[in-house]
Amino acid sequence: MSPELTGIIALVAAVTVESFAQMFLKIGAAGGPGILLAPYRRGIGRLPLSSIAASWVVLGLLAYGLEILLYTFALHLLDVSMAFPLGSLCFVGVALLSKMVLGETVGLIRWLGVGCILAGTVFVAM
Amino acid sequence: MKRAQTKLPGAVVVGLILAIVLDTVIQITWKLAVAHVPGDASLAATIQGAFASPFFYAAMLAFGAQLYNWLRVLARADLSFAQPFTALSFISVLAVSSHSLHENISASKIFGVVLILLGVFFISRTPYRTADASGRDQANPALPFP
Repeated sequence: MSPELTGIIALVAAVTVESFAQMFLKIGAAGGPGILLAPYRRGIGRLPLSSIAASWVVLGLLAYGLEILLYTFALHLLDVSMAFPLGSLCFVGVALLSKMVLGETVGLIRWLGVGCILAGTVFVAM
Repeated sequence: MKRAQTKLPGAVVVGLILAIVLDTVIQITWKLAVAHVPGDASLAATIQGAFASPFFYAAMLAFGAQLYNWLRVLARADLSFAQPFTALSFISVLAVSSHSLHENISASKIFGVVLILLGVFFISRTPYRTADASGRDQANPALPFP
């Protein structure tokens, strides 16, 4: 396997892990996994910060640690002009997880914003 | 029906600005921490080199502050609303590093910066929070991160 392909795989893994890390932090910040039910249950109240919520934050931090290792590894194998735009795919990953798992409304304008940011990073890294 | 929350609270605005500032500080101090490590060093050598630098500890301090601040933001706003704002730190890091390295910024970089700004502008035009299924206003929920 070429170093470039290894780098791309490591970077895609880093982006995936980072998207999940952000989702875990959001679940923790919202007071725990009750947020996962919020879009589907009427009149659910926000739960206070509990040890359950704190453990989601810890899970998010662990995922971040893994992401930093994967990203650093990928940067050793890839050119920045490649790594930077690929890395910003985490904006897409976060939008997808926010919509599908957290039940957030991600409309056309929000997707348009994500698309512009993604295109912007391609030019910034040139 | 999901009802839109449009009026952006001051705490979210301050939190987002702080997040971009802290993100910039983290990236610059991290770059300084590993600046003396050769580019072809192994992962272990890179980590070892970082630990030896005082900038590494400055980066960790900023990272702790960033975590608390970010949890405060996420307690109030949608993840898919707040997270794209962090793209602005690409611009601030570019500005700081090009200023300190006296590099000229190419036309393509300027175009990229404009696209990122446009993208964040679009995001800022969307409701900052998805209301729950009941459509009840969650303007004053019991916040886990006050």
